[in-house]
Amino acid sequence: MAVKHIKGNEIEAATSVVDKISLVDFSAAWCGPCKMLTPVLEKVSDDLEDKVDFFHLDVDESPDASSKFSIRGVPTMIVFHNGEEIDRMVGFRDRNALQTQLENLTESKLAK
Amino acid sequence: MKLRTELIGSGSSVNRDLDLVIAGGGPAALAAALYAARYDIEHIVLESYQPGGQAALTALIENYPGIKTIGGGDLVAVMKEQAESWGALFEMSSVISADPIGDRIQIKADSSTYMARNLIIATGAAPARLGVPGEEKFYGRGVSYCATCDAPFFRDARVLVVGGGDSAVKEALHLSEFVSELVLVHRRDKFRAEPYLAEKLLSCGKCSVNWNTTLKEIKGDESVESVVLSTPEGEKELKVDGVFMYVGRKPATEPFANLIDLNDNGTVRTHDIVHTSRENIFAAGDVTDNKLRQIVTAVSDGARAASAVFELLQ
Repeated sequence: MAVKHIKGNEIEAATSVVDKISLVDFSAAWCGPCKMLTPVLEKVSDDLEDKVDFFHLDVDESPDASSKFSIRGVPTMIVFHNGEEIDRMVGFRDRNALQTQLENLTESKLAK
Repeated sequence: MKLRTELIGSGSSVNRDLDLVIAGGGPAALAAALYAARYDIEHIVLESYQPGGQAALTALIENYPGIKTIGGGDLVAVMKEQAESWGALFEMSSVISADPIGDRIQIKADSSTYMARNLIIATGAAPARLGVPGEEKFYGRGVSYCATCDAPFFRDARVLVVGGGDSAVKEALHLSEFVSELVLVHRRDKFRAEPYLAEKLLSCGKCSVNWNTTLKEIKGDESVESVVLSTPEGEKELKVDGVFMYVGRKPATEPFANLIDLNDNGTVRTHDIVHTSRENIFAAGDVTDNKLRQIVTAVSDGARAASAVFELLQ
């Protein structure tokens, strides 16, 4: 599985990576756009597996994480580098938009 | 059948000749896909923008004939399953550009390029932004365009809903099941929504409506804390935890702007319901200038468009 399921208490360890950026998808089982985003994330994670780690977090399973990161809408994707939030995308993104955004972030954050 | 196998099994970035490309993933595109598959038209559906379209974001649909009540996501899931059962082919891809080349249309998508004899544009529309200060800053931090997605984050909260059409009232009713207080502001002095929905909202105990009122600003620190409203009595600030906006829709027609005639508001200019300014390009659903924008009219458009393609191919 290219997109790994995590819980709130695992975010810090999962995203404190220097040689890659990390995307955490905060979503919920009852959210239509979240379901639509799942196959997009899987495809993009296949294309960018060398540069980006992908994680999925269920907001109902980890309500404290939603509160900690001020999540008030799903899907919300937070991108981290070395433990710091570097970008936040709210709502569905198609494959092209998401891939372009992540490639731009890897260009600016990862050493050549 | 040979072509279908070829498409499924092939890689990317090649020119593929097809009789029809359907751009979009909502009810109009799904109906067009169902009809195209049953007509045995060589086709692909590029699920650009948002699979399921606006319908998938609707909590409850009560006016789709034949089904008393159903969630929007469930309805479009069945539509897709039905289309696939007849052989409809889908690709998770967005249209980047579409250009006429001879009697074909070259359609560039994320990872493939198609040469299509016909194109059905069913890319739908996204919620329009109001453009007030704070709207972008707090998107996902209290500002939302989808009550179906975000209502559970506002349990026992006070929220503001902006708008007066079907979407605003329907979504306000859904929100009212979660929040402690709902204030709806509408710039006019009466609803444009269906009377049944309007009456339901007006009789909701925790809901109030401010007529002739507009939203001027959204304020807060980390998330939404208050809004500034322009009312007939002057400006006033109201403490709220969330703002849900339903102020119209922006049609997803950018890739097609140089291909066919568009209206000033960006919708596709149509005649005879689904025909555009080019003979081999059709439009269906919310992307068109057709006045009634419902799931029932979108699927009707999709069926008409696929049928028109079938006739052209004879």
